Amino acid sequence: MWQIIKNEWHLLIRSRALLTVSLGFVLTFLVSVFLGDLQSQKQNKKYKTAKEHLREKWESIEEMNPHGAAHYGTYVFKPSNLLSGLDEGVNSITGNVLRVEGHVQNEIVHSEASQMQSISKFGKLKSSLLLQYIVPLLLIFLAFQSINSEKQSGRLKLMLMQGQNPANIVFAKTLSIWLYGIALLILSILVYTLLNLNHIYSDLISRMLFFFISYGLYYYALCGLTIYFSIRWKHTSLALTSMLGIWIIWTIFFPNILMSSVEKWHKLPSRATFNTAMKNDRSKGLDGHNPADERRKHLEEQVLKQYKVDSLSQLPINFDGILMQEDETYGNKVWDKHFGELRNVLKQQKQSYQLGGVLNPFISLQNASMGFAGNDNLHHQEFLVQVETFRRGFIKSLNDKHAYGGSKTGDWGWKANKSFYKSIEDFQYQPTAISSVFSHYIVDLVFLLFWGFIVSILLILGTKKMQIL
Amino acid sequence: MKNINLFLYEWKHFIRNPFKVIAVLLLTFAAIYGLHNGASLYHKQKQEIERIQEKVKEDRKEYRLNYTKEDPKPSAQEPIMAIWFNHIYQFKKPASAIVYSIGQAEQYGFYKWVNVRSSPYDNDMTQEIANPERLNGGTIDFSFALLFLLPLVLLVLLYNIRSLETEQGFITLVEVQHPKNTTWLLSRITFYLVLMIIIISGLIFYGALLTNLFKTMSSAFFLMLLYSLSYLLFWFILYYYILRKGKSIIHNSLVMIGVYVLIAFIIPATVSQYLSIKHPANLMTDLIDVRDDRWELYEQPDSLILKNLYILIPKIKDISVSTDRAKTMAKNIGYYALANEFMKKSALAIEEDSKAKNQFIRATFWFNPISFYQNRLNKIAKTHFLDYKAYRDKIQETIDKQNHTMIIDTWNDVKVDQKKYNEYYTIFSE
Repeated sequence: MWQIIKNEWHLLIRSRALLTVSLGFVLTFLVSVFLGDLQSQKQNKKYKTAKEHLREKWESIEEMNPHGAAHYGTYVFKPSNLLSGLDEGVNSITGNVLRVEGHVQNEIVHSEASQMQSISKFGKLKSSLLLQYIVPLLLIFLAFQSINSEKQSGRLKLMLMQGQNPANIVFAKTLSIWLYGIALLILSILVYTLLNLNHIYSDLISRMLFFFISYGLYYYALCGLTIYFSIRWKHTSLALTSMLGIWIIWTIFFPNILMSSVEKWHKLPSRATFNTAMKNDRSKGLDGHNPADERRKHLEEQVLKQYKVDSLSQLPINFDGILMQEDETYGNKVWDKHFGELRNVLKQQKQSYQLGGVLNPFISLQNASMGFAGNDNLHHQEFLVQVETFRRGFIKSLNDKHAYGGSKTGDWGWKANKSFYKSIEDFQYQPTAISSVFSHYIVDLVFLLFWGFIVSILLILGTKKMQIL
Repeated sequence: MKNINLFLYEWKHFIRNPFKVIAVLLLTFAAIYGLHNGASLYHKQKQEIERIQEKVKEDRKEYRLNYTKEDPKPSAQEPIMAIWFNHIYQFKKPASAIVYSIGQAEQYGFYKWVNVRSSPYDNDMTQEIANPERLNGGTIDFSFALLFLLPLVLLVLLYNIRSLETEQGFITLVEVQHPKNTTWLLSRITFYLVLMIIIISGLIFYGALLTNLFKTMSSAFFLMLLYSLSYLLFWFILYYYILRKGKSIIHNSLVMIGVYVLIAFIIPATVSQYLSIKHPANLMTDLIDVRDDRWELYEQPDSLILKNLYILIPKIKDISVSTDRAKTMAKNIGYYALANEFMKKSALAIEEDSKAKNQFIRATFWFNPISFYQNRLNKIAKTHFLDYKAYRDKIQETIDKQNHTMIIDTWNDVKVDQKKYNEYYTIFSE
């Protein structure tokens, strides 16, 4: 089998047209990897400058009332993931800026896509674009006449007469073309790694490994299926049109139609409905600015009892700060409920979409690619959860300072000093470890394996029915 | 006559090839699906707007009760409260032509409660709650079917014309019968051109029926037809030259798919990538800095606030504020008006950045036809970036109007009654 593969590669290398196309591809890959990396660097630089600018603003607060500071708030910017140079995923669609303040869990805003008119429906020139859409086409063109041309030239008969096993020939042909795709895949990952050698760590290596495995499995399914058509169809053009049809359905029709359908099966609320529901739930609880509220009374009684005093003015602490924090705690419950429901619907949508992989391995590939690159919606949600956790800690420190920092109830003019504000830590994004999210992508890998298995069976069956002449 | 026969005979070629028939059916199915997606978004947005309008109507009715009492609440008589509780909304009403191109409609909000504290860059100006992975892939709409699927279907329809005859060796026979080889080729492919014209026109007409387009914006129908057919012609000419030069089916397929990949994927993606290097995503730090400017306003002495207000609205210089309460109110409202000015100033830098990006994209249109057509179709459907910019401008205009009216009326110590309350609604809802 190895001999046939070697022979196939010799033939491929001898083809001037293929060499030209390959050279073009290699160049495009290099350009895409280089530009992807350059963009990440530029975006990171911008991110760093903006983050430092905001921190500087925060640390420059001389004196401010802690509740005032909660309204003043801060901002968190979404950092670009190191692997976004390979697959940007949803990053250009999701926003980049998130306001962190008291009383409210804001949504991320100002996406890149919303800052200009439409350019590219399929995203930027990233390796993923070439690996998902273009390389498969090239593999189809390499594979579609692989067996047929051997039949027509009589070489197939010759090989069989020399004692070669038909299955060996078919699998060797499949593997030789598959290896061509793998070579391009390795090239893009290798160049990317070299460009980012200083920033690579073990988690990224694992991610790249799974990224590689996903594409490897998809390419195998694609090459095998094309070879199968090449065995089954009498005319090479029929094999080509069949595969082109499949490529169109797999990559363009099916993912779009399924995703739109999934959003209809598991409906998300409109923004107005979502906000009204949260507002209603929130108004049932404590309102930090509403002293007439019943819950406030209950809390007041509780605190007075705790400090064994009769009135708020006798309290050694500032009741307003406690009230604010209680309001936050209640608000957090409301947000957890509503944002939690939202995340659940998104999760259901994702799971239903992933099941489409049983009919279309491209869906599994796309999910796995942006997932392993750390740029799918799941990773985006993880980022939002991290920011919200930060917000809660941030606001709690301010409310605690307001309550226990030395001021008395009603003393809104009291101000915390610069050193306190400086002591509040800035948001630090912790990249999601692959081990914590891997389980979400098992289904994609399983479907890709399933397709590899199905295609292998098809090849074996096809070999049995193969006409030599 | 010979050419007409060729043209008619091509029908037999077409229906005898199941792949070609399936390809055309797939395109038709995708386009109909896309039209229904567009229509569904149109109805969904319309319903949401109607729901909000109904809610506003109820809220206003309730608030208006304040003015029917003998002794109305003092706060209800203040212009700021009356304007606030008028619940002024600005809507980006969907155009019926959205049925053809959803465009950027899903990237922005389409309703906003506009008050003195608003800005066109508020959180609620972002897209409706949606799955980002779906937004990333985009919804199949008619423009998607037209721009991306039509060239592929044309490829399937045309790839073997002439090359099949060349491969099977009877091209010389064809040349004997048709000395003008190009006319023979043209006659055959014209069949597919006519077929596509009929299908596309039918689809555009069908789309128009889904949202009653002829009633509201019939010009969009003709523009859509014009751009769609010119796009069809563009690919036909391109493929015609490939077929004329082509020697084999494989060669034709390879070149045609290569051209498709280049035009549909590589060029737009490269432009997009280059643009994001030249102009990385704006992190809106200019807008964020307004927070500090606003904060500083609160620290400023009244005299400075008033000085700035006089510059902003010179008319109030000549009005002497009658009561202390009016004075305090006017000054408080002044904060909003001045903060609004800061916001407008910083938004200019953002608009400039967007302008530079858009100019760059426009400059690539001559070699980037897909982006050109995509944006033209979005413009017809009123789902283009500029349509949403106009919406943002309208919001800003309303904020300005509200601030201006509030200051003038508060300065004049206007007591709002039911008539004035309704008048505010009419002025700001324009």
